[in-house]
Amino acid sequence: MPKILFGMQQLTQTTCFADQIAHFAEKSYLTAGKFLLLLYIKSRTMYSVQTSGVFHHFSENDPVLKDIALQVPSGSIYGFLGPNGAGKTTTLRLLLGLIKKQQGSILIFDKPIENHRMEILRNIGSLIEMPSMYGHLTASENLRIWQQLYQCPYSRIAKALETVDLANTGTKKVSQFSLGMKQRLGIAAALLHEPSLLILDEPTNGLDPYGMMEIRDLLKKLNYEHGITIVISSHLLSEIEKLVTHTGIISHGQMVFQGTLDSLVSRQLSASKLILNTSNNLQATDVLKLLQLDTSIENGMLTIPIPEKEMIAQLNRELVKANIDVYEINPVQKDLETIFMELINQTTHA
Amino acid sequence: MHNTFTPCLKAEWLKKRHSFSSWLVIIGGSFTPLIYMLVFFIYPKQLADLHQSPGFWKMLFLRSWETMSLLLLPMGIVLAVSLITQLEFKNNTWKQLHTAPVSFSSIYFSKLMVILVMMLQLFILFNFTTYLSAVIPSMLSKKVPFPLYEMNVFYFLKENSIFFITCLPMVAFQYLISLQFKNFLVPIGAGLALVTAGLIAHSWKYIYMIPSTYTGLHFMEAATNKPSGHNIIALSLGYFLFFVVLGYVLYIAKKEKG
Ligand SMILES: Nc1ncnc2c1ncn2[C@@H]1O[C@H](COP(=O)(O)OP(=O)(O)O)[C@@H](O)[C@H]1O
Ligand SMILES: [Mg+2]
Repeated sequence: MPKILFGMQQLTQTTCFADQIAHFAEKSYLTAGKFLLLLYIKSRTMYSVQTSGVFHHFSENDPVLKDIALQVPSGSIYGFLGPNGAGKTTTLRLLLGLIKKQQGSILIFDKPIENHRMEILRNIGSLIEMPSMYGHLTASENLRIWQQLYQCPYSRIAKALETVDLANTGTKKVSQFSLGMKQRLGIAAALLHEPSLLILDEPTNGLDPYGMMEIRDLLKKLNYEHGITIVISSHLLSEIEKLVTHTGIISHGQMVFQGTLDSLVSRQLSASKLILNTSNNLQATDVLKLLQLDTSIENGMLTIPIPEKEMIAQLNRELVKANIDVYEINPVQKDLETIFMELINQTTHA
Repeated sequence: MHNTFTPCLKAEWLKKRHSFSSWLVIIGGSFTPLIYMLVFFIYPKQLADLHQSPGFWKMLFLRSWETMSLLLLPMGIVLAVSLITQLEFKNNTWKQLHTAPVSFSSIYFSKLMVILVMMLQLFILFNFTTYLSAVIPSMLSKKVPFPLYEMNVFYFLKENSIFFITCLPMVAFQYLISLQFKNFLVPIGAGLALVTAGLIAHSWKYIYMIPSTYTGLHFMEAATNKPSGHNIIALSLGYFLFFVVLGYVLYIAKKEKG
């Protein structure tokens, strides 16, 4: 599904829009009208969330968000990553209209939240930061409140509790729940009205590894079976890398990466390097320079960007010819975590 | 436009179940009458004396209202109203409530409505326990006759209505400030300060300007049969309206809604 949508997106971005449509319509024996309608429907649901030029400051001269542009394709699981204090919660609160937008545009389901607040909120389930449930009530009494507010069928309460494995808590008050249980109840509340978009702010905070895994599995299932778009924030890449299809990385209030997880992974490949351990690194540097390789010395080791495999063989021959002993030739791939850290650190020094 | 007030009202009603403020209604509504019941048990003569005075029910009613109007009710309002809004702050639920598909106006007025209904519950309980405070001791003690006097229903309805109206300014004032401060101590402190100011200023010329004093002032009118010289009902309704509107504007204008 996301793949198809992506193709469509590129199509809509082309400049000779009308020509394309006519062309496609002819080719596929569709009437132009039908095709336009199809395209219109597709393009309407292209992005569940789309922001541009969003700035925010809580106090004068101290911007917390700088030019945030989010694009969350419908049907995706979008990982919103960044270290603590980067501005994730602030961004998500802006999306939900919990804080007043100061600058920029925020579209959810292609509509600005300012004028379509209730209509948009009806289709969103959210969980922002700490669990927010009434401690003096039981799990089902809590959900009863949200069931009223969202005007959804009563039967949804039992279903939602079952989904998050809280069906047997009976008369136990939420104040006596563990953090993990509270968090799961929060997710049940977010799912209660069967929203098409879930916005979850660090939903696995405070959960043990098993609890985290359970929630990840649940989210995958919701996305796969019901096509729910999910925006999930986290400060740990490792926590969500196996879950998300798309990711946006924020650091110091700025987006430093946005795209599919695949494109982040391909960055990983291009960022790989070759490490050489030789008897004479200085002399070896000269040899490698003659081969027009970009060398540097890191931690006493000679380092070059990873070349073609023919080049590896050749440089080894050249080094041996120059009477340099080669102890080790080691290709090193940066892991996702390192790329993540480097992306984040870019803004620190900027 | 979709009606979101009714769902909000139902939700607010569900929220207050088992909460401390609903206990406060029960305690506040029965505290003074129960004390009197105890007094009448231990000193049946006090109750017997009441039988001698003209207008038994009226005297009993006013006796219950005395401490209630001057101190307990204003303080109870401060506490109960603050506790209701505190439910959202304490449980971090404002953000969840404000992302529900309901209008801010519905939230504001449904909460206020629930508070007023709770007040009504308190009034009913208070009248009922006041009645019991005379009936139960006289059933158990042979020294006191059972009160068989006729009751002027109109008088009690009228007086209860006026007392209710005189509470409204304090309810709205407390609602206004308790919506603004996350820290529970601020609204409680402000409310109690206002109640205390009203007590200290009892002989001040402009006491009728202090919104926490109307219940007490009306009690004085009712007990002494002397009009205070001010239109307490109009003042109460005026303050109520002012605080409700101001509270609404401040609530809507809040930049951070959770
Ligand atoms: N209500 C607020 N008032 C003032 N500053 C805030 C407020 N909320 C967040 N901030 C500041 O905004 C920055 C981003 O915070 P936040 O969005 O919570 O980051 P994250 O969720 O990524 O950890 C932080 O520096 C934080 O101190
Ligand atoms: Mg956060």
